[in-house]
Amino acid sequence: MTILLGFSPHQDDTGSLELACQLARSDHDSVHAVTVVPRAWPTAVAGDTDRDFRLWAEGEGEQCAAMARELLQEHADVPSEASWCSGRSVPQTLLDRAAELEASLIVVGSGDEGPHGRIFLTSKTDRLLHSSDVPVAVAPQGYWAGPTARVDRATLGFRGDDATWSLLDRAAGICSRVDASLRLVTYAVRGRTMRPSLVSGSEEMVHTQWVRQAAAEQAAAVEHLHFLGFADDRVSSVVAVGTSWGGAMDRLEWNRHDVLVVGSSSSSNLLSRVFLGSSAAKIVRSSPVPVIVVP
Amino acid sequence: MSLSLGEQLKRRKPIVFRQHHHEGEELARNLTTFQLMMFGVGATVGTGIFFVLSESVPEAGPAVIVSFLIAGLAAGLSALCYAELASAIPVSGSTYSYAYHSMGELVAVIIAGCVLLEYGVATAAVAVGWSGYFNELLDATVGFQIPQALSASFIPGTDGEATGGLINLPAVVLVFLCMFLLLRGATESARVNAVMVLIKLGVLVLFVVIGLSAWNGSHFDNFFGAGIGGVTAAAGTIFFSFIGLDAVATAGEEVKDPQRSLPRAIIGALIIVTTVYVLVALAGIAAKEAGWFSTEEAESAGLSQILNDVTGSTIWGTVLAGGAVISIFSVTLVTLYGQTRILFAIGRDGMVSKRFTRVNPKTLTPTFNTVVVAVVVALIAGLVPSDFLWDTVSIGTLFAFSVVAIGVLVLRRTHADLERPFRIPGYPVTPVLTVLACVWILIKLPAITWAIFAVWLAIVIAFYAVYGRRNATLNTYTDPEEIAEPRGEEDK
Repeated sequence: MTILLGFSPHQDDTGSLELACQLARSDHDSVHAVTVVPRAWPTAVAGDTDRDFRLWAEGEGEQCAAMARELLQEHADVPSEASWCSGRSVPQTLLDRAAELEASLIVVGSGDEGPHGRIFLTSKTDRLLHSSDVPVAVAPQGYWAGPTARVDRATLGFRGDDATWSLLDRAAGICSRVDASLRLVTYAVRGRTMRPSLVSGSEEMVHTQWVRQAAAEQAAAVEHLHFLGFADDRVSSVVAVGTSWGGAMDRLEWNRHDVLVVGSSSSSNLLSRVFLGSSAAKIVRSSPVPVIVVP
Repeated sequence: MSLSLGEQLKRRKPIVFRQHHHEGEELARNLTTFQLMMFGVGATVGTGIFFVLSESVPEAGPAVIVSFLIAGLAAGLSALCYAELASAIPVSGSTYSYAYHSMGELVAVIIAGCVLLEYGVATAAVAVGWSGYFNELLDATVGFQIPQALSASFIPGTDGEATGGLINLPAVVLVFLCMFLLLRGATESARVNAVMVLIKLGVLVLFVVIGLSAWNGSHFDNFFGAGIGGVTAAAGTIFFSFIGLDAVATAGEEVKDPQRSLPRAIIGALIIVTTVYVLVALAGIAAKEAGWFSTEEAESAGLSQILNDVTGSTIWGTVLAGGAVISIFSVTLVTLYGQTRILFAIGRDGMVSKRFTRVNPKTLTPTFNTVVVAVVVALIAGLVPSDFLWDTVSIGTLFAFSVVAIGVLVLRRTHADLERPFRIPGYPVTPVLTVLACVWILIKLPAITWAIFAVWLAIVIAFYAVYGRRNATLNTYTDPEEIAEPRGEEDK
């Protein structure tokens, strides 16, 4: 098993590489950096232009792989390699490559259009998130972890339905393995009140009930984690309350080496592929730490 | 259970406020008087005026105009009482919760029955009215009408004649459509409400202008022919079209200066609504003689029919039907939502199964609650003819409003020191007058309505005796935090 890193050298951001090495270091895994270059047209007899293009693409690929190797040198403790391949679609090529390498995780960065320190989903990442059958990790713009960084704590988006219970078990397994603590977070974003509202405090009432319900589910989950062997100080839970996703996210405290794990909407169940629900998309966009989206 | 039955029936939910909203952000106090007024108009106009003339004119004749004024007065007074109670006990759940806090469990159970009846049947009634306009719109635009068998109930109306119907399918579909929106967590924003208000008022003004252009003074002959009894009975039917005015009071927590804004908004909304209603009634009677309103033609999409007949063209009738279809849709959504949240409040107190308060983790809406409410409302809308619906809504509402007025009197005595951001003007005359006005209209409602009401209340009380009494949250609560309601920081 390896971690596949989608490496794009043209961005002045090595966040994805930092994240991939941090995750690999935590789980004693290796990193395989892959750069996708455009594929030439499959013409029967390659003319000058086509040949030039193919040569340029090959040169570009080699250069990128060399750059990736150089950057990976800074994380010498993590076994790594770098390669390039050509393809029409970057996300599809990455997915194919992940399948070939039997990668356990795909790591990508944020586009450079978003704010520093936040995640911005580019069209490529979005496509990847919607069709990957392995977890996808996205690093915030400008993410830097350091040459010895490991994951200290995973924050799991937990809402108490069947899908997140099974995610809890998987996350618990990984956290035990990598010796990270686990924090459960349930988002309680207050819905908008119907206007005109015929009932006083109508949404406040539902919101309060959800906070209680979420706390009860979390208590049961924490109990379950204790049963799995997690010590008290390695498990915590919090209900993030707010009037918006951003507000709820801002109320959470974050440590430097945290990652956020969210499940994707399971109801679609389309070949168990990642399908981002509207909540997951909002969480990803407002997260200040790297996010791992699990199908 | 150590508590005697008498004690339990009288026990009140303690008034416990938390000084802060739990960790979340504060509820912004940013509603203006004008917005509040628009909520009142938005919630009120559309619940009845598009259909109520066909029921009330046969009862009161041309004097139905006076009935509108009587109903408006009673509704306005009730809304003021509502505002005081809502500001003194700013808890979620509306009338039911105010009653639980001020008058005890038995009254709360009775009010729960009234309010469930009010919102549930109102939603069904509005959906049935919508169905008429929808059919009219279909006919005028694509020349197709849903057959009688699928657009009317099989139960004969008050006149006892066979309807030729089976089920009111458009009404059922509308209710389920609203259910899906609510399940997805969709709400109507203040802006959409403002647009709806404009559409409603726009088409009603259109009706008034065209209706008045066909003025026939002879339609007003024998103005008080139906006598005071007929006028009051019609006021009872009409009262239904004033529900929603209390929506202003429910948003009282979100206004900066309730003492100033609430009465202005309530009275402003009341004046707008009553003026529009009276003008619509005036234009309707000016255009058509009173006898026409009891015909089958008048019963579905009545206002559209009048416009078609007056102008000799279907254009204006179609415009009105289109406006009605859009705006009544929004009214159905809002009332169905109200019903689910009332049931949520009742479930929270343990009076019905806690499943009604179960929130879906994905959509953060009470799914079970919404589906059950929608199925029941859809059954009523599909199977019960509109004749039985209006008065049933009115009786529930009038009863609940009377109790609210009594609640104001009770709370002033039992909790004299309670902080009241809004105090009703003219105490104690106003609440007493409210009770008298409501009771006066109540006693004129037909016997069948009282019978339906009595049976329903008996069911509710029996259910309480069997289930609610044993499962009430108050039986088990140990910590005031369990029942505490959040209150703004400035109320410290």
